[in-house]
Amino acid sequence: MRKRHIQFGVAVLVAVATAGLLTQLGLGGSDKVQIGNGSVAALANAGRAADTLPQSVLDYPFAGRNFAAPNGGGSRLLQEQGSLKLYAVPGKGGMLCLVEADSVAQTAGGACADRDILRTGSIYMADRQEDGSRLVVGLVGDGHTYAEANGKRVPVQNNAFVLNDVEGGDLTLGSPSASQHVDLGG
Amino acid sequence: MVVLLSLTFVSTAGAEYYIYWWQQNMAPNAQGYDRLTAHNHIYNELYFGANAGWRSEVWEVTPAGYRHFDKWCVGNCFNAHPGYYYTYSFCSNRDGGTHFVYDCKDQW
Repeated sequence: MRKRHIQFGVAVLVAVATAGLLTQLGLGGSDKVQIGNGSVAALANAGRAADTLPQSVLDYPFAGRNFAAPNGGGSRLLQEQGSLKLYAVPGKGGMLCLVEADSVAQTAGGACADRDILRTGSIYMADRQEDGSRLVVGLVGDGHTYAEANGKRVPVQNNAFVLNDVEGGDLTLGSPSASQHVDLGG
Repeated sequence: MVVLLSLTFVSTAGAEYYIYWWQQNMAPNAQGYDRLTAHNHIYNELYFGANAGWRSEVWEVTPAGYRHFDKWCVGNCFNAHPGYYYTYSFCSNRDGGTHFVYDCKDQW
């Protein structure tokens, strides 16, 4: 009788461990740590002239396919670092967009994804730099306070972050009480 | 779900260039690509439709094989850059070859 109990206990433990492993593999494990509810306080800031997207960005077909308003209405300037500007833009169908524009390099980029992604990560873009490192910019939801890569941590300001000289594909986002891993790819 | 690569360019004379991309529902080592005739390429876009949160990457390769304008992103995304970077904006290095202007190295 005692032996049967032990066998049953072992079987339960194995089942629980297996289920836990499959859950981690199937759902992405720590990737699913949630921070905040996907809200972005910066979008509620009073609009200013500086929040208007560059006309060149609005002229790209990307704007018509993704932005909630063809004129980029509701956009907010999140950060400005040198010639680089980051904007948040309301998107179609529950999406939010991050737009970057560099007036000196004359480059621009954008990424739009479902707002829900902000609970478990970031709407980000990563650009290869001349030295092979990446410039990573991201839009995060309320509650995120930092972004980190290669041991270098930068604060989230106005729902956005800029990380220079990122080596590899690992990005960590966090709050005072939780952290999330983001695989940049590549 | 719609997958669209949108390309905008103006024609110039010269060699061929290549555009590559990858997105999350492709195998890790798979690549999409588009081979175009000579052009001054200024814009790449990946579009998966609304509510897509796929990771993706789009990049360009010069005729000399140099990878540049390499961008990783999540969801629908675009990458725009000035054409003058691309249209024969190469530098000549010590090795006698030409390299993309971003890849000029004094040791070559």
